[in-house]
Amino acid sequence: MTCGYGGRVLRVNLTTGKFTVEPLEQDLARGYLGGRGFNMRRLYDEISPQLDGLSPENKLFIGVGPLVGTMFPGAARFNISAKSPQTGILGDSNAGGFFAPEIKFAGYDQIIIEGKAPKPVYLFIHNDTVALKPAEHLWGLDIWQTQAAILNELGDPRVQVAAIGTAAENGVRFAGVFTNLVRAAARTGMGTVMGAKNLKAIAVRGTNPVQVADPDEFDRLLKDIDRAIYEHREYPARALMGTTKLVHALNEAGCLATRHFQTGRFHKAEEVSGEALAETYKLKSKSCFACTIPCSRFFAVTDGPFAGLKSEGPEFEGLAGFSSRVGVTDLAAALKAVDLCNRYGLDVISTSEVISFAMELYEKGIISRSEADGLDLSWGNVDTVLTLINKINTREGFGNILADGVRAAARLIGRGSEELALHVKGLELFQADPRGLKAYALGFAVASRGGDHLRSEPSFEFSEDAAAGERLYGHPDAAFRLKYKGKGRVVKHYEEWSALSDCLEACKNTIVNMEIIDFRLAAQLMRAVAGWDIDGDEVQAICERVVNLERAFNVREGLSRQDDTLPKRFTHEPLPADSGPSAGSVVELEPMLDEYYQARGWDINTGRPTGTKLRQLGLTKEADELEERGLING
Amino acid sequence: MYDLRVVVEEVRGFCDLPMRPGDYFEVKGGRIIIPDGKHICMWALAAMLPMFPAKQRKIAETNDWLPSTQHMCCPDPNGMVIYRIERIPVGDSVSPACADQGINPKEDKPFPRMLVNEKVCSGCRSCELACSFHKTGMFSETESRVRVSKDEPNGLDRPLVCRQCGNARCVQACPVGALERHPETHAVQLKPEICQGCGACAEACPFGSIHFKDGKPLICDLCGGDPKCVDRCATGALRFGRAGEAPLKGGARAAMK
Repeated sequence: MTCGYGGRVLRVNLTTGKFTVEPLEQDLARGYLGGRGFNMRRLYDEISPQLDGLSPENKLFIGVGPLVGTMFPGAARFNISAKSPQTGILGDSNAGGFFAPEIKFAGYDQIIIEGKAPKPVYLFIHNDTVALKPAEHLWGLDIWQTQAAILNELGDPRVQVAAIGTAAENGVRFAGVFTNLVRAAARTGMGTVMGAKNLKAIAVRGTNPVQVADPDEFDRLLKDIDRAIYEHREYPARALMGTTKLVHALNEAGCLATRHFQTGRFHKAEEVSGEALAETYKLKSKSCFACTIPCSRFFAVTDGPFAGLKSEGPEFEGLAGFSSRVGVTDLAAALKAVDLCNRYGLDVISTSEVISFAMELYEKGIISRSEADGLDLSWGNVDTVLTLINKINTREGFGNILADGVRAAARLIGRGSEELALHVKGLELFQADPRGLKAYALGFAVASRGGDHLRSEPSFEFSEDAAAGERLYGHPDAAFRLKYKGKGRVVKHYEEWSALSDCLEACKNTIVNMEIIDFRLAAQLMRAVAGWDIDGDEVQAICERVVNLERAFNVREGLSRQDDTLPKRFTHEPLPADSGPSAGSVVELEPMLDEYYQARGWDINTGRPTGTKLRQLGLTKEADELEERGLING
Repeated sequence: MYDLRVVVEEVRGFCDLPMRPGDYFEVKGGRIIIPDGKHICMWALAAMLPMFPAKQRKIAETNDWLPSTQHMCCPDPNGMVIYRIERIPVGDSVSPACADQGINPKEDKPFPRMLVNEKVCSGCRSCELACSFHKTGMFSETESRVRVSKDEPNGLDRPLVCRQCGNARCVQACPVGALERHPETHAVQLKPEICQGCGACAEACPFGSIHFKDGKPLICDLCGGDPKCVDRCATGALRFGRAGEAPLKGGARAAMK
């Protein structure tokens, strides 16, 4: 047991039933910080190139960070990583709640899961005691039923459960891992990997203390951090609505994904906004572990056809995904759709994309009603949305086609539908239109796990602070969302900042979007928590190392500049006139890519890191291997 | 027709007014007579009122349950003030004035204690961390005096804190007298050298607020009147003070102002 870390890595082999505990190497902790950093290091080292994401040789890595289990606000997160069965490249996902702290209290920094169980099992970790328990009676249960059954079986309400639902069991490619019922690590199909391994759930109970090296200094830093959070201009809106405040905000900006990104404004946005949810169904605010911003909401629907529905959430991604994206104008119906995804264990972004994709194909006459099991795929048809979620979950009929993701579905359907599949590298895009958000557009294109908003989240481009743009990113246009210059440097910086958040395993909303923690303060925190002699530049270098390591993994899988792209809708079709301030916008991607690769020190032609760059970051082994394979230049 | 004397026999929980053992009032015909300077609880009074006429009547019926019914409990589940209704002979008077008992009403206020508003508890468990951090310098749920009980499907979160009961059952239950009141804060304190770890206090606590670590109970001492869990409560679900008054400590955001 060391300060800030449990000091141990648990390795579980599902095939043999063997458990080993490895010490956490100081090099790993010092070089990669935690969570995502730990997972990416293992991913590169232990996953061989071109491995099938559903094979037993694929491994699941679950990492927590040095702040987890402490009083740091929002230090409640874990990353879960593997080769993605959905995209075929790096797979990684992240969630909050109470599961990650429990791993830390059990004394572990990482859990590695190998092999495949002959029959359904769940993993139970109680401090030093590890057991694989039979889960045949749990197979076929949804997320909520699984958690209830395991808690009942173990008899301790403080056990934390991460589970898969029926979607993962059925091999839906975008199935997630869910904790605390609704906290989803849902992107890139990490739940699908669990399902392929016959691993129904991971239950953890930890009663060990988490120690910090300098409690007084840590307490002092925390008081300043808490004050900065409470006094932040965004605090009231975040506490009231969380991320659902984005529905209204993006609609005003004209870049809310509407009817499969055909336009940027949804005429009924106010009725399905975070404000509407707070005014109607919200009962109270909820928090992740130790967080000072209670940004989640518990709601109950009391009237209409969905009366009796009660749950926690949703996030912006689910709310907008099942309202504006698919044309649904009924708030309760959108909540019901999200609830179904939470119970089945589905990624709400991918699910809403495959459904809205189908709706657009139907609208354009590319598919007929008979091809869609007789369903009326008109925009806003609530029954159809709910039916398709059920069909995707059970891989039934048309749902079976959609269950492999939008890229695979488009390949199967053909007839020009590939251009309407809104994904990057196989990962479906989230509900903010990149045509109105140039830095986000670049972030989507280059993100290491595919079409992803969470690898960078470059919110600086909303600031309209030209002086700061010039000072920080070399050009005043960096501060404006419809401008291009400086965006490569913005995305580079925010990628590293997001990596910081994912390695410390604290909340990105706080660290990045609210700008509470920078690299210098992160270094102070690590001095107080782990007792290291470290400064902000070194912390930033660690984050840059993680980003480059991920790129190296994907390069080894064959990726290059030509994969850093966006769907034609965003590069060739201007936002229509009804999109307000974003009307007429498209994304000119190539100049931003040039700037980004240049800022990163990568080869501009191939979009791959140079050997020089990798060695500079301490990734010598990777540089040697990729050079040897002829994938990169010196 | 009987006259009645209604006496506070026991305070099992915590009464904010406060009612204390030995406090009483009398019912004479249609009048309620309260000793000078004393008060009664309107909620308890409302709950007991229907019993008074029945107890006042001289009725002797077969299988009459009234004569043997002497105890009533106030409706506050946290207060649990037990009243005993005594029939007294007509004409007897109230006892001497409060002054003779050395009670000054203006100064007779309850001690501050933890106040909980479960409706706004977000379930983050920061209070557990703040408690253990202050007590041990580490973050450990098993070292925390406060625990948050959760019902996730129904969105319920309930901080279980020591209520500092006015007539604390844990203190009464301790067979060796290891629990006592702090002279200033009036918080229940543990004398660890005397404690035998028998668990009687935890069993007696009606709120499930006493947890054990290494064979000894974790007794909330209100951090000497400056509870740290309140300092970290983001929603103000935990406050410190007297019920019905502005809190002395009102949560993390209040502390910032």
